[in-house]
Amino acid sequence: MDAVLEGFLLIAQPGNVALIFISVLIGVVVGALPGLSSPMAVALLLPFTITMEPVPAIAMMAALYCAGTFGGSITAILINAPGAPPAVATAFDGYPMAKRGEAGRALGIAAISSISGGIISLFIFLLATPLLAKIATSFRPMEYFALAVFALSMLASISGRSSLRNLIAGAVGVLLGTAGIHLTTGVERFTFGVPELTEGVSFVPVLIGLFAMGELLNQSQAAERTLEVIKAVVVKLPTKEDFRRIWGTILRSSGIGTFIGVLPAEGATVAAIMGYNEARRWSKHKEEFGTGCPEGIAGPEAANNAATGGAMVPTLALGIPGSATTAVILAALIMHGFRPGPYLMKETPHFVYAIFSAMLVANFMFLIIGLAGAKVFSRITLIPRTFLWPAVFVFSLIGSYSYGASVFDVWVMLVAGVIGFLMLRHGFTPAPLVMGLILGKLVEESFSQSMILLDNHWWRLLESPVVDLFFALTALSLCWPLISSQLEKRKRSAEAAAEVTGTGR
Amino acid sequence: MINRTDLVLAAVLLAVCAGLYYVSGTFEEVSPLFAQDMPPERFPRMLLSIIVALSIALPFERWLRKEKGKVLDKARSRPIRSIVYVTAGFLVLVVSAIQWIGTFLVLVLVCIGLPLLWGERRLKILVPFVALFPAAVMLLFTKVLGVYFDPGAIGFEFF
Repeated sequence: MDAVLEGFLLIAQPGNVALIFISVLIGVVVGALPGLSSPMAVALLLPFTITMEPVPAIAMMAALYCAGTFGGSITAILINAPGAPPAVATAFDGYPMAKRGEAGRALGIAAISSISGGIISLFIFLLATPLLAKIATSFRPMEYFALAVFALSMLASISGRSSLRNLIAGAVGVLLGTAGIHLTTGVERFTFGVPELTEGVSFVPVLIGLFAMGELLNQSQAAERTLEVIKAVVVKLPTKEDFRRIWGTILRSSGIGTFIGVLPAEGATVAAIMGYNEARRWSKHKEEFGTGCPEGIAGPEAANNAATGGAMVPTLALGIPGSATTAVILAALIMHGFRPGPYLMKETPHFVYAIFSAMLVANFMFLIIGLAGAKVFSRITLIPRTFLWPAVFVFSLIGSYSYGASVFDVWVMLVAGVIGFLMLRHGFTPAPLVMGLILGKLVEESFSQSMILLDNHWWRLLESPVVDLFFALTALSLCWPLISSQLEKRKRSAEAAAEVTGTGR
Repeated sequence: MINRTDLVLAAVLLAVCAGLYYVSGTFEEVSPLFAQDMPPERFPRMLLSIIVALSIALPFERWLRKEKGKVLDKARSRPIRSIVYVTAGFLVLVVSAIQWIGTFLVLVLVCIGLPLLWGERRLKILVPFVALFPAAVMLLFTKVLGVYFDPGAIGFEFF
C-alpha cells in the first residue's frame, strides 16, 4: 500500500501533472489526426524524454497512449474519419448519430465509455500486475523463452492483413536485434564494419522510421481530403436512458478490452472490433446498429481504452509488450535503465504504481479536455497534409539525431522509413517488426541460457509444464487464423442453410 | 496459383537471407568451450531458416486465401507515384546536407521544400511556417532539452 501511495505522490507533483496534461493534449490531437498514430507519437516523444527522470518520462508516454486512443473517436464521430485504427468501429454508429444532429450526445457517450473502460482496466492492472510478476519470478530461462516465443506467435493474429507477413516481419525484427556484439562470446555480428552498429541497431531511429517516415512517404501520394465537419457541437453527457442502455455494454467491453490488451501483441484495434461485435450480439436493438445506436459507440470505445490498461500488464510484469505502443514504452524503459519484467515490480513497485497513477490522471484529463475541446480538435483535421507531414519529418529528424547526437541514426531512420513504406505497400505492418526487435534480445538470451542449462538437449525444454503450456498456446495462436476461417465458413454455411429452410417454408 | 509480385518479394527475401547466412559464416570463430556450445552464428541462422520457410509460402498466400487474399493487393494495386521517389530523394539530399549546412538550415530547407514539392502554394501560410516552426523546434531541443546540434561545415549555429 505504501508503494501505491508513493507512486501516486510521485505523479501528484505539479511538474508531473503539467507534463501529463501536455501529453494528453498531444495525445488527443494525434489521435484525432488521420495518419498519425499512438505508436508513432510515442516514438517521436521518446527522444524528448531521454534526458528526463524516468517517472515523468514514462508517465508522459503512458498518458499519451491513453489520450491517443480516445482522440480518434472525436474525428470518427464528427467527420467519419477515424483518427486512429482503434476508432474505426466507433464511426459505424458515431457518425450516423452525429449526422442526425446528435453529435454532442455521441461524443458524450464515447467519452464516458472511454473513461469507464480505461479506469476499469487500470484497476485490473493494479491487481494483476503484482500477481503476474510474482508468478513470473519463478520463471527460469526456459519458461521465459517459451513465453517470448508465445508472444511472437501472437503476431500471427495481430491486426493487419496477413498472419504470414506478420510472422515474417516479427522474425526479421528478432534478426535485426542480433546485430552488434554477441553477449556470450563478444563476437561482432552483422556490423559490416560500421562502428555505430557494434552496440546493436538503435531502437529510436528504427521506431521513428517505421512508424513516421513510412507513413510520410505513403501520405506524399495521398490526395488532399475534403472533410465535412459537423458543426455546432455542444457535448452532452449521457442521459439516464442512455446509461440504462449502455452500462452493460461498457462493463462487457471493458472486460473484453482488458483481456485482449493483456494478450501479448494484441491491441486496441482488435479490442474495439470485438467490443463492437459483442455489443451488437448482446443488444436488444440489433436493427439499430449502423444507424446511430448508443451501444455501438459505447462497445468499441470502452474496449479500446480498456486495452490500454490491459496492455501495460504484460509489458511491466513480464517485459512482453501488449501492443505496438507498449512495445515503444518497453524500449523507453530499457533506455532509462530499467529491466522490465517481474523484477521491476519487485525492486521498484512505486515506479509501476506511478505509471498506473499517470494513466488514471490521464483518463480524467482526456475526459475534460475531450469534452471541452471536441469542437477545436475536430478542426485540427483541417490542417493541410502539406504542412503536417513536413512538421512530422522535422520531429523525426531531430528525434533520431538527438538520441545519440549522430547523423548515422538519421540515416537509419530514413532507411527504416523506406522499408516501412514498402512494408505497408506489400501488406506487412511495422508493429510486428518493432516487437521482434524489442523482444529479440530476450528471445536469444533465454534460448542460449536454456540450451546451456540443458546441455543443448532442446527436447528437455518440454520437461517443464509451463513451457508445455506456452508451446501449446503458441501452436493454438499460429493455427488460429486457419481455425477461425474454418469456423467462419461453417457459420456462413449454417446461416445460408437456415435461410434456405426459412424461404422453403 | 503463384502471385508474381509476391514471388519477387519472396525472391528478394531469400536473396537477403542467403547473403546474411553467408555473412554469419564469416563471424569470428570462438572455441566451443568458450561459446558454451552456443556459437554466435547459431541463433541468427535459426532465424534465417524460419524466414526462408515463411518466405517460400509467400507467393502462394494470395491463392491460398482466395477471396480474402484480395486485401493484400489493396495498397499495391496502383503503381507508386513519382512524388514518392521525389520525396524520398529530397529527404536523402537534405540529410546529406547536414554535414555541410548544419541541422537548423536543413530543417528550414525541409519546411520550404517539402510543402512546395507536394504542391503547396499558399505563401501566407508557408512563410510563417518556415520562419517559426524550425526555430521553435530548435529552441525547444537546444535550450530546454540541452541537445547539441551539428553546425555543419559552414558553422552556422542556432543561438
